[in-house]
Amino acid sequence: MTEPTIYQHLLDQGLSRREFLKLCGVLAGAMGLRCAAPVLASGLPAHLVNDNASAAEAVAQALESKPRLPVIWLEFQDCAGCSEALTRSQSPTLVDLVLNKISIEYHETLSAAAGFQIEENKQAIMKKYAGKYALVIEGAIPVADDGIYCTIGGRSSLDLLKEAAAGAAAIIATGNCATFGGLPKANPNPTGAKGVWEIITDKPVVNIPGCPAIPEVFTGVLAHFLVFGALPELDHLNRPKTFYAETIHDRCLRRPFYEAGKFANTFDDEGARQGWCLYKLGCKGPTTYNSCATIKWQAGLSFPVQSGHPCLGCSEPNFWDGGGFYQGQSAPVIRPALAGVGVAAIAGVVLGAGVAAANRAQKPRDAEKPVAAQQNSAAKE
Amino acid sequence: MKTQEAINTFVKETGGWVAAQLEACTRCGMCAEACHFYQATGNPEYAPVWKLELLRRAYEQRFTISGKARLALGIDKPITDADLTHWSTLLYEACTLCNKCSMVCPMGIDIGPLLHNVRSALSEAEVVPLELMAAVNKQVTEGSPLGVTDSVWDDRMEWVADEWEVELPIDVKGADMLVVFSSIEIMKFPENISAIAKILNKAGEKWTLSRQGREVVNFGFYEGSEKRTKLFMQRVFDAAKALGVKRVLVTECGHAYDALRWTAANIMDVPAGLEVIHIAGLIGDYVRSGRIKLKPGAYDNDGTITFHDACKIQRRGGHIKEPREVLNILAPHAFKEMTPNKEEAICCGGGGGVIAIKAADPQRYAVFQLKIDQMKKVGAKTVAMTCSNCRLQFTDSVKHFNVDVKIAGLSQMVADALED
Amino acid sequence: MDWNAILEFARGTFFQVALLVFVAGMVYRLARILLLGWKPNRVTAKGSRLGGVGMSFLKGAIIWPFIPWVKNTASRNPVIYIAGGIFHFGLFTVILLGTAHMLVWKSLLGFGWPTLPLPIVDWLSAIAIAAMIGLFINRLINPVLKLISGPAEWLNLLIVFLPMVTGYIMTHHLFFRYEVLFSLHMLAVDVLLIWIPLSRISHFMFYFFSKAIHGAEFGKRAVTP
Repeated sequence: MTEPTIYQHLLDQGLSRREFLKLCGVLAGAMGLRCAAPVLASGLPAHLVNDNASAAEAVAQALESKPRLPVIWLEFQDCAGCSEALTRSQSPTLVDLVLNKISIEYHETLSAAAGFQIEENKQAIMKKYAGKYALVIEGAIPVADDGIYCTIGGRSSLDLLKEAAAGAAAIIATGNCATFGGLPKANPNPTGAKGVWEIITDKPVVNIPGCPAIPEVFTGVLAHFLVFGALPELDHLNRPKTFYAETIHDRCLRRPFYEAGKFANTFDDEGARQGWCLYKLGCKGPTTYNSCATIKWQAGLSFPVQSGHPCLGCSEPNFWDGGGFYQGQSAPVIRPALAGVGVAAIAGVVLGAGVAAANRAQKPRDAEKPVAAQQNSAAKE
Repeated sequence: MKTQEAINTFVKETGGWVAAQLEACTRCGMCAEACHFYQATGNPEYAPVWKLELLRRAYEQRFTISGKARLALGIDKPITDADLTHWSTLLYEACTLCNKCSMVCPMGIDIGPLLHNVRSALSEAEVVPLELMAAVNKQVTEGSPLGVTDSVWDDRMEWVADEWEVELPIDVKGADMLVVFSSIEIMKFPENISAIAKILNKAGEKWTLSRQGREVVNFGFYEGSEKRTKLFMQRVFDAAKALGVKRVLVTECGHAYDALRWTAANIMDVPAGLEVIHIAGLIGDYVRSGRIKLKPGAYDNDGTITFHDACKIQRRGGHIKEPREVLNILAPHAFKEMTPNKEEAICCGGGGGVIAIKAADPQRYAVFQLKIDQMKKVGAKTVAMTCSNCRLQFTDSVKHFNVDVKIAGLSQMVADALED
Repeated sequence: MDWNAILEFARGTFFQVALLVFVAGMVYRLARILLLGWKPNRVTAKGSRLGGVGMSFLKGAIIWPFIPWVKNTASRNPVIYIAGGIFHFGLFTVILLGTAHMLVWKSLLGFGWPTLPLPIVDWLSAIAIAAMIGLFINRLINPVLKLISGPAEWLNLLIVFLPMVTGYIMTHHLFFRYEVLFSLHMLAVDVLLIWIPLSRISHFMFYFFSKAIHGAEFGKRAVTP
């Protein structure tokens, strides 16, 4: 028996052909043009998003011919924030759509089943869809001491990851923890936390960093895989180029104030009220690659900088250790400890005194004596 | 040649103050713009910073880790005999130690004394120009670089006393002040002796000359030899001690004043309570206190008078105001300042022993062009000064260039304008 | 190549190391000079040595901006005089009153101060860079500077020039990605910090020695330094 296609699945749910095509356009927009989803949602005239026409057709074709995508979602050292963000995303049409076209077979937080039942189900799915399922990882993987710092059902997360990764068609790491180690990896990293792509090197891993990852970005990537059967184009950090090509600073609505040198100095000064640049309050926007400034959050309502908080750089590797969140970005990452400076200074004094003593030893002894003593010794000669 | 001696001298003289100033140099080259030798000839080797090159190399190669490393790696070359010979021409034949360079140094490096250190090293290495060395040796053996032996001095003093009818007290014990003339005055400007005597007598000063300490010039200081500098100063101090005077008056000689007043105490023991003063300052004191009275406007009708600041008496001696006060009485209308003047003045070009060296003549005359330009700009008919060495250079160079300017010693102008 | 990782290194570990090398190096040079032995002055002063020192610093501070013509270098070699002055003025204004730079001081010292608007800082840095190019050309053609310039002098110019030019390009987002330029800027700064104690760029410390010595010597003689 062949699997029903997504199209059939949707028709069963009572969707008309017309509605189906509209959704295909939305999906195409989410994958290709970062602004398309909110734009279409706002009901702009079609000619403004005309570029999507052919893409929408491709999406329609794929959905008409492909079965639903099985997804296994593993959580390790995480807070379930990425899942939360996804489920509570304020673009319900988009998320529902994607959730309808994929079937999440295993998710510790969302699945109704629990315990042995669900573990058995996971094993079954992995066997049934071997080489076909998408694996989503949320949370970092501790590798220190054989990975004992995170175990599920008595098995280490490292073990679970390797097992699930072996049969996966693609791996999507979502959130900063799964991608770059996130909070668990922050100095001093006692559990030896790592990102997925540091462990799984024989499979394509898509990194969708962020804390949490932007839901629209996640669904966009998944839709891309669903439609084209391949992962989107990735950059050097395995991030989809579509969503991580520009910095927050590049697209920031406060950018003109930066250029004009108008900065908020505190969170409640006149500059803050006027909506001036938050650079002095520690904004990491200039070096943070993400789509917050364009896709935004809560259905395009706002994002941190817009609402008056500096960007923390949460989608960048090691952002926890990149200097204080509220310290200007130009400031050094580490403030040298006074002790270190003291040691350096003492080393300088010791070396300087040593060389000075050696230099003085080169001089004839008379030169060091007071004048009267010189006269006496001269007289003796 | 004793290259090692030179390096040892550099090492010996490089105290913290020298090292700090060498470290401060940014090698910006501004000092060249102050040096009259560079200005007049355009020879980049005359830049003061380049003249200090030997000192810098010795300092870095002996005192700093990086310098030692560079020497060991062959990046820097050790100081050689040829270097010393070459720098000898730069230091003795194209530098008067006038210290104008320190006035423009943006880092405020006191370059003059550092240049003196280089001369010291060169003198220890015995690469001093022959003519200068001959003069030094003459001062060691005969007591005067110009051959003023005891008998010559006696004759000369007797002649001056007769010629100008002045009283010249010699070896008077219990006098207040020992007056020491320079050989240049004794041999070339004897009228200065009578002039100073007249002023002192007029002021009622209890003064004396000394046969023992009869030479104020210090060619050891020109040469840079600490040993001989001390020797020549010791003669003066011994005389002062023997006569029991309270003050030593340096007459119109710049280098001697620098040595006796500003250097002696730091390199030797100066008799306790002995004060070293300069005639330029003394005249100022007399005029201010009314001990002598000058005829106001005595020189107002002889054309413009200007004043040449000597490097060692004005810039490095501090007697900048006094000559101007005097000139403003003697020639209130005719007196005009050259620019630059006072502590920024341009050196005559003959000091520091340069005038004693024949090989230095081309640049010495070239440098004097700057003074001629200055004098022409104010239209000076007379130029007054308080230093016999400057006066020698002016007299010689004015003749060389055939310029119509009268050269006058300030003491003489004062003596000639004393109110009865 | 991940430039954010390089940036983290340049802002973090490398900067830390460079700063400590800078401190140790400068203290070393200071100690070496201070402990070399200083002869006391035994000459009776005619004027005030302290007054001379004060005057020396005062003149150093006011002549360049207000009365440059009293120095005949100003007329004889205006390039070096004006370019040198503008370079230092621009450099210090940018380093002390540029917002990004003030934040560095704030993180090191624990307190900050008001800064100048970016356009002003921007123009000053452009002028300082231009002045530096002027100084470079001057060093190429002036006979004295040609004579006294060795590899160290050219390196000095280069190592000071790089942070300035990368900083300028960075604020304008030209040619490269921001974090690339930020990294280059920080790397250049780190190299500069290490180079300062090894070179004559350390003159800012010895300035206070030489100016004071000069002032004391002239003050002693009752001459305006």
